[in-house]
Amino acid sequence: MLITNKAIDRDEFERGTGWTLKPEGACRGEVCVPLPMGNADGGAIDIDAVAESLGMPLVRHSDALAALGPATFGGNVLATAEAPELVLPNLDGNPFDLASLRGKKVVMVAWSPY
Amino acid sequence: MTVCLDTVGAEAARPFIERANPEHPSLIDIAHVVDERFGVVNIPNSIWIDEDGIIVRPAEAAWALELAPADAADADAPPPASPDAAPQDAMGKRMAEMMGAASQIVSDRDRYVAALRDWAEHGAESDFALSPDEVIARSGRRGVPESTAAAEFELAQHLYRAGDHDAARQHFREAHRLHPDNWTYKRQAWSLEPSALEGSPMARFWQGPLPGKETDWAYEGDWVKDANAIGPANYYPRFKG
Repeated sequence: MLITNKAIDRDEFERGTGWTLKPEGACRGEVCVPLPMGNADGGAIDIDAVAESLGMPLVRHSDALAALGPATFGGNVLATAEAPELVLPNLDGNPFDLASLRGKKVVMVAWSPY
Repeated sequence: MTVCLDTVGAEAARPFIERANPEHPSLIDIAHVVDERFGVVNIPNSIWIDEDGIIVRPAEAAWALELAPADAADADAPPPASPDAAPQDAMGKRMAEMMGAASQIVSDRDRYVAALRDWAEHGAESDFALSPDEVIARSGRRGVPESTAAAEFELAQHLYRAGDHDAARQHFREAHRLHPDNWTYKRQAWSLEPSALEGSPMARFWQGPLPGKETDWAYEGDWVKDANAIGPANYYPRFKG
């Protein structure tokens, strides 16, 4: 996720990374990673501490712009087989939530015009 | 459902989606969120998800049935001649190299489509529906190099959209260096460069130096060079049962 501001609140972190902050830690599906005290319950989080717990490298472009890589602690792209959250717009800009297709089999095909 | 991965934005996808006029959700992913969350490293790739939202096959090369003859003829039509692009012989040579490499790409179309039909019919009983442990194991390696590459790629895309293509190229190059197996990082970056086929539907597939301007090319690799380096037959991993 892009970081343009040192103070990141939990909503921003959850939207940007797909990890949910709960009392037991950062969770995705049934997998939860414990976090240093104070990061799971309040508003603003300590991005450096949370990034370290989840094995997320921080790449800095400038003082005002950096990016946080995805979690590496399990060594695989997926830490759980539960489909990650995904909300993307269609051609008209209307958001569509992958989770709205629960109850149906889904084949998600990634393509590009290049 | 389909997801279009393109930093350029929805307008690049529009002609394709409007022509296909799909009934399924057809989404736009200008930040390659699907790469990061699902492990897509080339296109076309697919992910199969069951009725409970559990992934039963992680990202892998995906194939459609053969195109109908009319569409196939259209897709195979040679690009229009570009009289302004010089020199012509260098351009012809590059086109031949591209087509040569592309023709060696191996498709598992029949096996993939048969497996998909089997899963559609039999669900969890299908041999092609993998266990959660197998899904995780096959989802692709993500250590610090791959994750750092993802962060570099995200910075590159952001800077490109902000109009700073030079700064973007530096981060694209780092992403390519750190995660050389990720074709999406490469194809996206290369497709943003000037093309010798400007104005043709094939323009963004050029993905290499302009004829006569080879030293201006901003990247270490290009599509022909990198596809030949791994062997075009290995461009898409074979479908595993």
